[in-house]
Amino acid sequence: MREHRSKMSRRSFLKISAGTVALTGVGLPKRAAAREKGQLATLIDLSLCDGCAALETPACVFACKTINQDKIPEPVDPIPEPWPRKTIEDWSKKQHVSDRLTPYNFIYVHKALVVDSGRERIVYVPRRCMHCDNPACATICPFSANNKRPNGAVVIDQGLCFGGAKCKDVCPWEIPQRQSGVGIYLHVLPGFMGNGVMYKCDLCVDRLKEGKTPGCIEACPRQAMLIGPRREIEKIAEERARAMNGFIYGKNENGGTSTFYVSPVSFELINETIQKKPGQPDMKTDVPRRMAKTDKFGDAVLAAPVLGIAAAGALGWYARRKEQAKKEEKDND
Amino acid sequence: MTEKILADENRVVRHSGLELAEHWAIAVSGIILLLTGIFELPVAKRYYIVTIPGLGWTADFITSLYLHYAAAFVFTAVAMFHLVYHGILGEKGLMPRKGDFSASIAVIKSFIGLGKEPPMHKYLPEQRLAYAGMALIILMLIVSGLVKTYKNIYAPDLSWTVVLWATWIHNIGFILFFLAFGAHMAAILLKPNWPMVRGIFTGKVRLDYARHRHALWIADLEQDQPTLGTDSPQQTKANEAPPPENPGDQASADRAKETPVNGQNAPRSEVSDVSGDPETPADRPGE
Repeated sequence: MREHRSKMSRRSFLKISAGTVALTGVGLPKRAAAREKGQLATLIDLSLCDGCAALETPACVFACKTINQDKIPEPVDPIPEPWPRKTIEDWSKKQHVSDRLTPYNFIYVHKALVVDSGRERIVYVPRRCMHCDNPACATICPFSANNKRPNGAVVIDQGLCFGGAKCKDVCPWEIPQRQSGVGIYLHVLPGFMGNGVMYKCDLCVDRLKEGKTPGCIEACPRQAMLIGPRREIEKIAEERARAMNGFIYGKNENGGTSTFYVSPVSFELINETIQKKPGQPDMKTDVPRRMAKTDKFGDAVLAAPVLGIAAAGALGWYARRKEQAKKEEKDND
Repeated sequence: MTEKILADENRVVRHSGLELAEHWAIAVSGIILLLTGIFELPVAKRYYIVTIPGLGWTADFITSLYLHYAAAFVFTAVAMFHLVYHGILGEKGLMPRKGDFSASIAVIKSFIGLGKEPPMHKYLPEQRLAYAGMALIILMLIVSGLVKTYKNIYAPDLSWTVVLWATWIHNIGFILFFLAFGAHMAAILLKPNWPMVRGIFTGKVRLDYARHRHALWIADLEQDQPTLGTDSPQQTKANEAPPPENPGDQASADRAKETPVNGQNAPRSEVSDVSGDPETPADRPGE
């Protein structure tokens, strides 16, 4: 069964990688723009991931670190002390940390020791940004530094981010991590406004543009991760979950994401093994999209101009008619 | 027409109930929008606002968003209502006129004792300029806010260029709205404007004040209310200017007594001097 699944994943991988190349325009550059509009999704198959137990650093983590090693400029020294709350987050001297999310580490692998049906087993769970379908981190970023691309990637623009960490507050998994002492805030009011730049996985958007797959996916020696057109990935996730009588995470969480975890062990059990800490998100199932409840209010706002104009039209017409009637009455007198 | 001289009460009706409702709906929703807009920035924790009793919610961006949307509904609907309703009725009293800028400078100079105020319409020239400025700011905020709202609900992957434009127009609009609100409040601090404050609460201002300061407006009203001409008993009574309720207004009341300006003796040439646009009957209902 495992072998069959493995073969299937290899086939899917090849198929989907080819799809990705085509989607991102390397295959047919002239139609690149139109294809960019296609939504991508990723799949993380926990039945395949072994956490690269033989390696010091899991391959996906290492690849991600290598690709992004020059992303953050050297922070200024000393880092300006924010006022009045004096929180400074400086990871520049701890860039090697790989067992949690940091501004220098966008993916890590959680080792879950679970007891499933009376049997002890280890499940390795790579954790990174889920690239949500409607990400609050991006939609309510005060400067729109964080934005969702048409291909589904949620990307923070380093040049626009003030590092206020609002994105981290509204993310159910508190994924984005701050590096103080870098970014545009240094040129505005560093003591009073902003505190660095937020960093997280950007789905390797630059690599996608070049027709490459994200570093973590390319580096995985067991092809535990896939990327491709969203519908296709979702279909594969469902097929695999069905085949292993397993579970999917990320399909409904936070209103839906473009990351589908497939696991033979329930995510409730996996979540029980996670002690939520800074940079180490939990895995609660059915996490609601908190902004969803505000959508009705937003709909009312979108309808407000029409309502205002309609009311004005009706009242205006009535007032004019009344005025005209008065005038006629006066003329008749 | 709502505007009416109530000579017996020494009052003139300046705003209708509907206009008062519009003003206060925009004012209250605007203040809520300003505050919740500030709380959409990550300031509540950083500046320890959350530690103030009753303000614990300010660190929750989603709670602020609920309030922001609720206030935006009122703000947007009323602003659109205002534009269309008064547009339909052809009311243009608050629209800037030619010469408003220089007239505004003359009025401001008069506050510090340099020269005399020119005779004015229902609204001061700087009020008309401020109205146009505020309308532009509100329009910027509404249009950009609608784009942001649409993006939040239906198109999180809306073109980033559009999103950035909307965001920065909204952010700059927020700063301008804050400054404009501050200027609006500062205008109340100026003593000559005090008698107008009553108007925005009750809809009426003192007739002796209006005669003195808004001579052109009263002249127009008197043309529309011929029974209140110079010879009418009511008019005589009004011109006698009852003692002001506020001792601070004694000076203006005295001046009103000395300067009986009405429809008949209001210098029409001055109308042209001030506005550069002699009023037509079509203009009047808007004031």
